[in-house]
Amino acid sequence: MIMVRAIVRPEKSSAVMQSLLEAGYPAVTKIDVAGRGKQRGLRLGNVVYDELPKELLMVVVHEHEKDFVVRAILESARTGDKGAYGDGKIFITPVEEAYTISTGEREA
Amino acid sequence: MKEIVAIIRQNRINQTKESLIAAGFPAATATRALGRGRRPVEFDLLNAINENPKESAEILPTLAQGGRLYPKRIISMVVPDEKVAELIRTIIKVNQTGNPGDGKVFVCPVNDVIRVRTGETGPAAIDEMNGSNGR
Repeated sequence: MIMVRAIVRPEKSSAVMQSLLEAGYPAVTKIDVAGRGKQRGLRLGNVVYDELPKELLMVVVHEHEKDFVVRAILESARTGDKGAYGDGKIFITPVEEAYTISTGEREA
Repeated sequence: MKEIVAIIRQNRINQTKESLIAAGFPAATATRALGRGRRPVEFDLLNAINENPKESAEILPTLAQGGRLYPKRIISMVVPDEKVAELIRTIIKVNQTGNPGDGKVFVCPVNDVIRVRTGETGPAAIDEMNGSNGR
C-alpha cells in the first residue's frame, strides 16, 4: 500500500475531497499546515509571507490505484488550466501494513 | 525502523498516551486532524428513499452531506522493527470499541533517524522506544 500526501490550497481542499469521494476514495484525513515552496513564500511589495496556509490531505490506497488517485487530486487541485505557483505538491510514501482498529483486521 | 501512524478517536488520546507509557513507548507526536472513513453513504437513508421515493425530497439534502469530516487525533511514533507488533497491539487494544470510526494504524518504513541533541543516528537515536523489555 502507499500513502499519498497532498499539500493543496485551503480553498481547493473541499473540491479535492469531493473528487476523491466521486472517484471512490471516501477515506481521507485532513490537517491544516503552514509552509513555503521554492518561491520562498509570497512577496507583495514590501510584505513577505514566509509561511502560507495550506491543507494536507492524506489517503492510503493500494499501489495499483496510485495513478488514478494522483490524477483525481491533480485535476481538482490545479488553479486555472495551466496551474499556478502555490498549487501544492503530492508526496507518495510506502505503507507496509494497515490495521483497522475497530476490527483489529490487517490489510495488505 | 518503522513509523507507526495511528488515527484514533479524540476522546481516546489520554488513555492511549497512558498505556503507551506503560508499555514502554514514551515518545510520540500527536496532531489534530479531520477525516472521513470508507462509509460516507448511509444505507438506512438509501433504503428509506427506495421505499418511499415521493417523500424522499426531504431526505436528499441530508444525503448530499455525505463525506462529512470528523475530528480525529493522529499519533505517530518511530520504533525499531522488532517492536512494531507490540506497539500495534497496544494501540489497537486501547482504541478498539468495535464500532466504525475507531481509526486506522499505518506502518511505514523509515530510512534513518537522527537525534538532534547528540547527532546519534539509527536505532541509537530512538533507544527510549524499547518496549516492555527495557523495564
